Amino acid sequence: MEEIWEIYKGGKWVVSFLTFSIYFFVAASFTLYLYIVASRNKKINRERLRIEYNTEIEKLLASVIFENVSFAAIKENKNFLVLFDTSFFREVLTESLINLHKNYEGIYAEKLEQFYKESGLIKDSFKKLKSLKWEVKCKGITELAEFNIKEAFDKIILYSKGRNKTLKITAINACIKLGGTRGIVHLVEHPDPIDDWTQLNIIGAFKKHDIGDTKGIELLLESQNTTVVTLGLKLIKELKLTQKLPYVVQLATKATNTTIKYEAQSILQALTV
Amino acid sequence: MTFLSDELIWFLDLYILLILGYAILIMSSYLVLAYLSTKELRGYLKKNSFVDYEVLLTSEFAPKLSLIAPAYNEGMTIEENVKSLLSLNYNNYQAIVVNDGSKDNSMEILIKTYDLVLSEREFHPQIETKKIKGIYVSRNAAYKKLIVVDKENGGKADALNVGLNIAENPFVVCIDVDCILDKDSLLKLAKPFLESHGKRIIATGGVVRIANQCIIKNGRLVEVNIPDRMLPRIQVLEYLRAFLLGRMAWGRLDGLLLISGAFGAFDKEIAILAGGYSTKTVGEDMELIVRMRRYMLENKLPYAVSYIPDPLCWTEAPEEFKIFKKQRSRWMRGTIETLSFHKKMFMNPKYKLLGMLSVPYWTLFEFLAPGIEFIGLVITALFIIFGLLHWHFFILLLLFVYTFAVFFSVIALFSEENTYHKYPKQADFFKLLMAAFIEPFYFHPLTVYAALVGYKEKIMGTKGWGEMTRKGFTKK
Repeated sequence: MEEIWEIYKGGKWVVSFLTFSIYFFVAASFTLYLYIVASRNKKINRERLRIEYNTEIEKLLASVIFENVSFAAIKENKNFLVLFDTSFFREVLTESLINLHKNYEGIYAEKLEQFYKESGLIKDSFKKLKSLKWEVKCKGITELAEFNIKEAFDKIILYSKGRNKTLKITAINACIKLGGTRGIVHLVEHPDPIDDWTQLNIIGAFKKHDIGDTKGIELLLESQNTTVVTLGLKLIKELKLTQKLPYVVQLATKATNTTIKYEAQSILQALTV
Repeated sequence: MTFLSDELIWFLDLYILLILGYAILIMSSYLVLAYLSTKELRGYLKKNSFVDYEVLLTSEFAPKLSLIAPAYNEGMTIEENVKSLLSLNYNNYQAIVVNDGSKDNSMEILIKTYDLVLSEREFHPQIETKKIKGIYVSRNAAYKKLIVVDKENGGKADALNVGLNIAENPFVVCIDVDCILDKDSLLKLAKPFLESHGKRIIATGGVVRIANQCIIKNGRLVEVNIPDRMLPRIQVLEYLRAFLLGRMAWGRLDGLLLISGAFGAFDKEIAILAGGYSTKTVGEDMELIVRMRRYMLENKLPYAVSYIPDPLCWTEAPEEFKIFKKQRSRWMRGTIETLSFHKKMFMNPKYKLLGMLSVPYWTLFEFLAPGIEFIGLVITALFIIFGLLHWHFFILLLLFVYTFAVFFSVIALFSEENTYHKYPKQADFFKLLMAAFIEPFYFHPLTVYAALVGYKEKIMGTKGWGEMTRKGFTKK
């Protein structure tokens, strides 16, 4: 301690400090440089692998869709099994499956869903739901919703009640896809305000997934949470649910909150003109 | 003699400690800001990967925007730039191009290209501006979003105020007409206005990047390149540092004092209530943000300013020193003027973080830094002349500052590499890395000189922007 004090008093610390800092900056810059080079190489390698995998995956999925090849038959290929053991291959495979599933409907989409279940990729998605990282959970939710895994609804709906906004929006969107209005009726009891962005996403999910059965949307108008009521009104307007107008009329006449009253009146006007 | 020597030694020690203290303070603040920025950036990118901007495209509840693009002598690029404005991915918007009394053929080009005719459109000005010669709309339905205002020259702020007066939508997006916008830029800029509950989002800003030598096709940036010339190339690095490592952190702290005039969105009502753009400063972008924030704080209205780290806007950086000097001296004048208009906020707890941190930071490290550096150079020169300079220490200090400058630029490159990765070519990365080594000797003295010119111009009472010549983008 005395030695340090002597260095300070003698002014030598300035030189030591500067020398140390210079070495530190040089070393840190060089380390970062190496990291950047390594990161670039990793990206290049991943991209190369992705291209390679995609070529294999395209062939494989084409045989699943158009030649009715089952996963059991695919499993017999030892090369595939080796690849399937690597997490990056499964990641690319899941992405390709999702992209294809978005573009296909009917029997082809069902075949892809079947492949997703039989290959065990569904287990990966369920495993993701258990992750401590919210972004991994979001990924799992998106995958399960894309392949219409209705059994996941009860688990996913729990996340739609959480505080992490991104996770909440992803979960609500998934619940709407899997359960229609069942995915949002719990919002009636929602204690926190739902911001406009979340509302827009909910409306977007209804439009995107073309939810025909809108039974229960009127329940949102009974919520004590004004943002939930606003969401209900916006849904009625944007989905042009004229059959819900009696509930809007009731709100327009009886609501105590003037903003809600005004919103209800403007929606009545928009839908009845 | 002994007494004088002691006093001189004491003065030298004090001077060295002060300079070192200032350097350490500024470097530490940069590192803290870089740390906060990196953390915020990672969080943003994670969240953003799950965002579906399509919902904004298809909904009537998406915020309604009015784009305001002032143009002065932009004839060389105006056709391409307006085309870019009209082809953005957004539905609820109108584009208002304000021709601020250009002396070139900007207006003729606009009328001819977009088939414009005079309109009888009525509006109720809330901010006083120079006289409007005419408001034009297109006969072509494809350009129904476009409004062109021809007005007497009054400067950028005046042109923006005309736009604020004419805008029909609740949110205005002020941009430089010569900028190239990312096609999703409006979607990203509009989102924060929907996100905050309980707090009013009064402004959002995005990242501006350098487009020199990038390839532009149909008003869109299609290929990112690094400029061959050293001056714009170093500005690429400078912008990376400023936007990725600086403003992101200020955004996180909610202490952002500046949303670039090149691209920013504002709550029109608050902008007008705060008085619109000030025509008394050349730093109207910074001044408006400070005034809007001040308005909210003084009226005890909860608010926030949002910042988006995505590269949404690409602009042409000066390639000639003459133009660069004009730009940077103007920036310095703008800073001095804004800080001087709002000196009441300096270390004033009433203005919370803004008064206690943002304004002092800008005063100490943006406004005073070039002056302190210049004084340091003069004193060092005197030390050399009088044989007082301790060369070993001087060289160590120089190396300390130099290695830090390079280190900080490498952090910016590292951040870019791990986030947007806009410069994937190996050669481009090395060009930027080399620029980091050259910058402290070449670019930094130029910026200090330009800032000192700004001081001088402010003292001499220079007003206005001065002519800014554009070279134009590389088209495909």
